This record gives sequence, structure tokens and C-alpha cells, in this order.
Amino acid sequence: MRIGIDVGGTHTDAVILDGDQVIAATKALTSADVVSGITDALDSLLKDGAISQDMIETVMIGTTQFTNAIVQRRELSPVAAVRISLPSGRGMPPMVDWPADIADAMGGHIYTLHGGYLYDGFPVADIRDDEIAALIKDLLKKGIKNIAIASAFSPMNAQPEKIVASKIRAAIPDARITVSHSFGRLGLMERENAAIMNTTLLPFADKVVSSFLDALAHRGLHCPAYISQNDGTLMSADFVRAYPALTFASGPTNSLRGAYKLTGLQEAIVVDIGGTTSDIGVLQGGFPRESNVVIEIGGVRTNFRMPDILAIGLGGGSLVLDEGQNIGPQSVGHNLVTEGLVFGGETLTTTDILVASGAADIGDASKVAHIPKTTVEQASLTMHEKLDQSIEMMKPGGKEMPVILVGGGAILVTGGLKAASQLHRPENSGVANAIGAAIAQIGGEAERLMSYRETPREEAIKKVTDEAKGRAVEAGAETSSIKAVDIEETAVPYMDEGATRIRVKVIGDLATGGSS
Amino acid sequence: MKFIDLEHLDDLALGSVFLATGGGGDPHVPKLIAHEAIKKYGRVSVIKPEELDDDAYVVTIGSVGAPTVSLELLPSIDDAARTLEAFEKHVGRKVDAVASFEIGGGNSLIPLVAAAGKGIPVIDGDGMGRALPEAQMMSYPIAGIRPTPAIAFDYAGNTAIFEVSTTAIYERHIRSYSMAAGGMITAAEHPMTGKELKRSIIPGTLSFSVGLGRTLRENRGQADTLLKPLQEVFADSIYGECRLIHSGKVIDKATRIIGGYDIGEATIEAFDGKGDNLTVSIKNEYLMAKLGDKVSASVPDLITIVDYETGTPINAERLRYGQRVSVFATGCPEFYRSEAALKVVAPRCFGFDIDYVPLEKLWS
Repeated sequence: MRIGIDVGGTHTDAVILDGDQVIAATKALTSADVVSGITDALDSLLKDGAISQDMIETVMIGTTQFTNAIVQRRELSPVAAVRISLPSGRGMPPMVDWPADIADAMGGHIYTLHGGYLYDGFPVADIRDDEIAALIKDLLKKGIKNIAIASAFSPMNAQPEKIVASKIRAAIPDARITVSHSFGRLGLMERENAAIMNTTLLPFADKVVSSFLDALAHRGLHCPAYISQNDGTLMSADFVRAYPALTFASGPTNSLRGAYKLTGLQEAIVVDIGGTTSDIGVLQGGFPRESNVVIEIGGVRTNFRMPDILAIGLGGGSLVLDEGQNIGPQSVGHNLVTEGLVFGGETLTTTDILVASGAADIGDASKVAHIPKTTVEQASLTMHEKLDQSIEMMKPGGKEMPVILVGGGAILVTGGLKAASQLHRPENSGVANAIGAAIAQIGGEAERLMSYRETPREEAIKKVTDEAKGRAVEAGAETSSIKAVDIEETAVPYMDEGATRIRVKVIGDLATGGSS
Repeated sequence: MKFIDLEHLDDLALGSVFLATGGGGDPHVPKLIAHEAIKKYGRVSVIKPEELDDDAYVVTIGSVGAPTVSLELLPSIDDAARTLEAFEKHVGRKVDAVASFEIGGGNSLIPLVAAAGKGIPVIDGDGMGRALPEAQMMSYPIAGIRPTPAIAFDYAGNTAIFEVSTTAIYERHIRSYSMAAGGMITAAEHPMTGKELKRSIIPGTLSFSVGLGRTLRENRGQADTLLKPLQEVFADSIYGECRLIHSGKVIDKATRIIGGYDIGEATIEAFDGKGDNLTVSIKNEYLMAKLGDKVSASVPDLITIVDYETGTPINAERLRYGQRVSVFATGCPEFYRSEAALKVVAPRCFGFDIDYVPLEKLWS
């Protein structure tokens, strides 16, 4: 049996899964210290004694704490940003386009060195021992121990990053270092940003992981613990101490994966309706379709693997305006229970419309009896139209697709949805995130720019796949179970015929008795 | 406008994406380098072509290569100015001002980096008035300006000198040099006198792009409400006509890379599902639009697709199924309607079996 826990901004959800069966589910409020919210949820799951701790084989945790730390500029440690790309990029130093408040939180320790590679493997410049020695001397003098290193085209040749990292480690044994090629994708500034954000979170990651493990130990759970990543796969808890940034956006991913588990549908649109927004994503082969566009986190451009999510301002707390012609994007959010009409408040929300239509029995229905029938009907129509339009936008090329409704606000959909070939409302959809965390597998990804003229296509794809497999094993996957789930080949315009960007993603089962 | 300063860069970049008609690459990195250059060296003077002395010496400058490469091989703040210095050393005379290859996309910003670094003015104008895929489609060669002497400058300061007969040959040579030099270089080319520039440049496009970007920003919102302010901006310019030719949902989009081009089609169905669908043909840029069987706009006139809700221009690579969009078409500068220009930019030059009919005639 497995326990899945989702630590959200408002609620901490937890489930026990036995194979595909949901044995128990609970929702607790997220506590300020996070840990007591987790222990409350665990207590509630295990309270009746039907399931004992030793029946639990693994615990999976999804958390938004690291994303929130970046967005709210807290728990950030000073970082030295080291870029190896000179003589290219002079006058375009690391963090040049960061918002000032978050750049300042890093302390402004910036170093640029000679080195890196071109797209075809030719060196940009040789790395220079004197520059590395000067860098180390300055780091020692300033006492900086968190270091992010990025070099040009490191996804294709990581030697410069590795050499500088090992020299720093030799001189500063307790240095915490992130090398940008761990984040795979092409795009030097975006990959470097990811490495810097990861590095600034490293001390906090230690704290968070330790407190998670303590919470589990206090409840007698000594099984391996894993934490979910933004692509719907898992990392061992200890891996997160080194890669906290990989948890960014794992919430929406877990909700999509949970919807897949609850319905078994590999190809579907998932609509997660909360209090303020509806998050619409697409399942492809049971995994979230990933976004191709640059994603900003806390105002910083990154190229993280993120699910392609369309968020629209429609939820259970959304304001109903103009006799129902317009809905949202403003919402009363968590204050629905005091501000909504049915709760004695003064704001007309979508939940009030639902009660007025007789489709739900929430709060005091007499408080919405005065709303004209035309407004109720119009508001309901507007809601359904908004969802239909947004689902259409997310649908891949003209396909008929089923829609899975999850989240607390799913009850807002009273009629059918024209954009859906079928509409699914699975049981336990309120804890889809925790279920998504509980079923996650281990993944790995690699990306390279290769020429099919120099390396035959099959050989090139194998090379990238092997690299991705190596990453999955490192993250805790069982070698024999690993298989490629996505191979993306993109021809590069304005380059030689055959120049191709190859990205491979692999997935495997958890290694039994894996590290924790 | 007399100067380009930091506060103009966002508008310039936004306007340049509209004028890029789906191509031109993401101007994010060029905008950053222009920002750093102006921050360091100060604002850039802008002069109109007619303000230039007939015997002044001007060169065009910009980046040549694969935009994908510049994701890793970042430009440097002094690349463009050093390219000019190498050019000056080679030809043995001072450059008085720089001009842009194409206003559509990132190359609208590179001349500013050069001008800031050298403390010389940038000319208000460019060699296309939009984005087009090849150098011989620029107004400079069409008007008979020789491409060389030209200099290419790589990330490490290595230079190559070009002396060739035609711009078509120059295009082939500089592309292969660019690939040998890491995939992205800065080039100074098509040198000319003030007198030659006045007859070969598409004038006013730099300041126009800033104004266009400002209009798009200030009127951010549904495309229907954007039409009037856009028409006012275009009516007052060398482009003239501006029309909203279709709004609806992208129901199909397919492209593939053939010979370095991103080639394909997008189909847009009206929101109410009534009437003919609009089909937009893509070859890096949006080149032809047909409502049913009837051509509603074609190259060299401009076709731009924007997000219906916000009016933000959408690059051809980013256009996808389900997006709610509006399609605008605008006239092109008179220069591109001349016989000499149509020889290289008419629809047939891109493989479309139609004659060019100006936008306003198609709709009269």
C-alpha cells in the first residue's frame, strides 16, 4: 500500500492506495509549519487502526513550498552565479533580466569565465585555470557556499561545468553546487536561471526534506519517501535536497495524473475547478502534455518541464456580474464561506447561482431565492460557454476527446459540455492531486542538438535515450523497467539539413527498497 | 522621433513582432542586449533618411544565423560596435550612421546596439518594412546597392571579409560562414552613400514600429476594438490600408521544415461557424490568405495574426489549434509594389500560383 500526500496552499490532502483502490482519503488544512498539517492528515488516515504502519510500502509527497518560496521571496539564500561562456555574452551577465527584489536576495555575486562549446562541439574558448583560481579565492573570501554553474551548450558537453564544480568542491568541501546541465534543456539563460533558483533553495530544501521525514518517522512510517516533480514523476526525498526546483508546478501535474488514475483514460482533457480558477490540461498517454513556451516563475524566465495548463478565472468563488453575462476573473476565494450570499454574505458568486438553480444544497438557499431565473440561466450558460471555449483551445488538432472534471468546483458544471465527447466525474475527484502523487513513477529526460548527417538517426536517438535512462536510474528507477515515453525531434530552421533537436523522456518503476 | 531610449524598447519589440508577419524570431535576447547597450552608452539618436548628407557613408547591420543557436551563444554588448570598427578599418573610412536589414523581429534592435556603442545615429527606416526570409529580398539590393564590401564578426572577434557580385551569392556565402562560426554572427553589409540610401530604404519604419507597439500596448484588448486605432496608425504611414480580414478559431495548423523553411498552412473558422474559412499559407512568414477560394491578401502586403482577446501578435511557430485569433492585413510600402521588387517578392517567388493584387484592390 502507498500513501499519497498533496501539500497545497490551503489544503493538505492524503490518500491510501492499495493497488488501484482508494482505501482512505482525507483533507486537512495546511498548517503554517506544514509538518503538523501532514501529521494531522496521517493521523486521520491511520486513526481507526485498520491499516498499520508496516503495511505502507512507500509515501509520496507533492508540495508547493518551493514554488511559494520563490514567488514570495522567502527562505532564499545568497548564491554565486558562475557562467562559463566568454568571450560570448560579454555585457549580458547572469540575472540581467531578473526582477530587482529577487536578484537582490541572491546577493549579486556574479562571475563570468572563458569556456563552453558551440552547437557543433567546437570550443567557444579553453577554460582558464587562473580564472577558476581567482573565482575560488573570491568565494572563500566572501564565504559563499551556494554556487550555480552554467556553461554554453552544456546539455551537449558538460565538461566545463564539471571541471569548475570539482575544483570548487576540492577547495570548499561543504559547497552546495548546482550544475545547469542537470536541468537538461537548451537555452543558456533559462537553464542558468533554473540552476540559480535551485541553488538558492538548497538550504531550505534540507530543512523541508528533514521535516517531512521527521513527520513520517513520528507516525511510525519508516518506508521510503518520494517527492513529486513537475512532470508527474518522482524523486527520492534525498534527491530533492539537491534539486528542489524540480518540484515547481507539480500540483497541476498531480491533479492530471490523478484524473488519469481515477478514469483510466490515457487521452483526455482534465478540468480542475477550484475556488478561483479552472485549470485545464491535456493527458497524452496518461501524462500531462508539456508546455513549449517560456514559463516565468516569480518573474524569472525558465525552461522547466511544465505541464501545458490554461488557467481561466472561473471557480466556486467567482463573481457573477451583469445579470450573468460575465463571470470572474475576480473571486472571493477562500472567503466564499463568509462572503457568498448563501453563507450570509453580500457577493453574488457562482456557488450562489448553483444553489439558486436547485442543483446543489449548500448554505441557506432562501438567501438566493430573489435572484431572477433569467440571471441564473444566463450565468449557467456563460460558465458552460467559457469552459467549452477554453477546452476547445487546449484540444489537440480537431480530435474528439473526453473531459474529466475534478476539484471541489466540479459541481458547477450542471449541464453537458459541448466540447467534450464524454464527460467523466470520477469518485474521489476532490483528492485527485494526492492520488496523482501516490501513483507516480520515476522519470528522466535528456536533450541534444545533433546532426543526422554525422550521426545516423537511430544512433542519435539511442544516445539521447541512454542519457535520459542514466538520469532516471540516478533518481531511483529500476533499470529494467525503464522505457522511453516521448521522443521529440525538431528540425532546426536556418541550419544544415539534418540538424535536429532531440528530446527523450523515459519512465520507470520505483526501484524496490529504493533509497530514501 | 529624435531618440530611442530604454523606455521605447518594449514598444519597438512589440511593433516589430506585428511587422514580422509571423517570422523574424523572438526579439527577447536582442531587446536585452539593446537594453544593456543603451543603459551603458546612452540613448541613440534617430535621423530621417532625408536629413542625411548625400555624401554621408552608411552601412546596414544585423545578426545572421539560426535563432535557435543564439539560445546558447549569447550576443555581446560590443559585438555590433566592433563589427563596425572592423568594417571601417577594412574600407578605410568612417561610418556616419547605421540602418537595419529588416524591421520585423530581432534585427530591428541590433542597429541600436551598434549605434549606442559607437555614438553614431541610426537611420529611421529598414530594408524590408516587414520580415522576409532572404537577403536579396531587401530593398537595398532591389534598388541596385551592392552587398559588399561586407564584414562578418563572430562571438570571439574573428572576422571574415566578403567581396561578391550579387546579394543572392552573398546570402549563400554568409549563411555558410555563419554556420562555421558558431551559427550566429553580426554582419555589416550593403554600404552606401546618403544619396543611395535615400532611394533604397523603406523610410520611417523604426519610429513607426515604436508607435505601432505603443498602440498595441495602449489598446490591448479584443481585436475588434483594436481595429480603429490600428487603422489610424497605418493610414498615417507608408503602409496605408489596414483591414481586419477574419476572426475565429484555428481549426487546423500543420507545418514542416523543408530546406530551412517552416512551411505549411493554418485554417481559421469564423466564431459563428458561418461563411468560408480563412486559409493562411506559411513559409516562415504568413504569406497568403484565402477566404474560401478567394485571395484576401498576399505577399508583399503584410498579414499578421493576433490573439483575439489581447491583440498580441502570434509568431507562426506559436500558432496552434484552438487559438482564437484575428487576422489583420495591411498594405506594403509602394517600393515593394514596383516591378523590380515584385520580381523577387511576388507570390510566385514563394511558389504560389497567383499574381499579386494590392490589398485595397482585392477588397474594392
